[in-house]
Parts: sequence; structure tokens; C-alpha cells
Amino acid sequence: MTVTVKFWSYFRDHTGCEETPMNLADGASLADLHSQVLQQFPDLAGTEKCTLKAVGLDYQDDDFVLSDGDEVSLFPPVQGG
Amino acid sequence: MQRVLIFTNDPIAEPVRQMSDGMGAVVTFHGVVRGEENGAPITAIDYEANEPMAQHQFELIFEAMEKQWPLESVRLIHRLGVVPVNEPSLWVEVVAAHRAEAFAACKFLIDEMKQKVPIWKRVL
Repeated sequence: MTVTVKFWSYFRDHTGCEETPMNLADGASLADLHSQVLQQFPDLAGTEKCTLKAVGLDYQDDDFVLSDGDEVSLFPPVQGG
Repeated sequence: MQRVLIFTNDPIAEPVRQMSDGMGAVVTFHGVVRGEENGAPITAIDYEANEPMAQHQFELIFEAMEKQWPLESVRLIHRLGVVPVNEPSLWVEVVAAHRAEAFAACKFLIDEMKQKVPIWKRVL
């Protein structure tokens, strides 16, 4: 399956792109995707523990099982206000 | 509960107060860009949002407020883009019958926003 990964804030500086498609095995979790992203974009090293993850418009835990076509957002802690 | 949520790239113009006769408390809050960050002087903050998700997360917070307190309305304006020092990046208004729920709900909204709403800043 293929999901789209979007990066926000300074994560874009580390990846050099706003979004990228990712191919994953069926049944892959959000944690699996995150590991694959960290391998593809080594400059994200050190952000693992502070990374917030959303699928569509909602936050999800690492064990969330992804589906083909999902749009995943990865970003640092939020800073509104 | 009436809800108004606006993202804007323009300076925030504080709206005229709206409340019915039965309401006795209006809490408003301006979040203003400070002239320093971590002890160093700055000129502005550039705000970026994932707008669809930010709108959704604000709606979830508004729903939680509505369940917890009897509120007549909540209105929120968040500025995006470059906001110079001394200008507001955030305006919030909460209207209720009494001050306790208005203060509590306003604080809850801002605290939750700072945990959940995908908005980020770059110091300039």
C-alpha cells in the first residue's frame, strides 16, 4: 500500500520536502511508517520522541494500522498562540 | 453554543462584543508577540498552520468546552504569517452567564490549543 507523508514546521528543513509517498506492507502501523521515514530522512534523527503523528485530521497512536491512501502528518510540538 | 473560528493573515481587528441579556461575563484574551525569545531580541514571529487539521482540533476543543460549561459563545481569531512584536497573534472571547465558567473555559481553550492545535512559529 501507499500512504502520503506530510512534514510540517522545521521537519521540512530536515527532509527537504513538504510531502512524500511511502510504500508499506499491508497491515503496517504508524510506528512502522515512522521508522521507515527516519531511515529515508536521517536528518530527522533526534526528533523521534517529540514527533506528533496524525492520520487525516486526527492524532493517532503508534499502533494505529494504516490503510492504502492514508495521509499522515508528522510534526514537532505545536506552538500556537 | 455559538462558535466562530477565523484564521487570518491580516492584523486582528477586535470584533464588537456580542452577548444576550442573560449573560453576565465576557472574558477576552489577546496573545501578543513579545519582543524577545529565550532572552534574545526579535522583530516578529512567522506563524504556520496545518489549517484543515487546526480547524478540526479547535472544533474538538469547542465541543469539550460545551460539554463542560454552560457557555453562550466562543470566538477565536488566530493570525498566521508574519506578526510583528507588540501585535496580537491570538484573540479569544468566551461569553457565559457567570465569570467562573467564562474564565475556566477560556483558560482551558488556550491550554488545549497549545497542546493540540497544529500551529508553529518561526522567530524572525
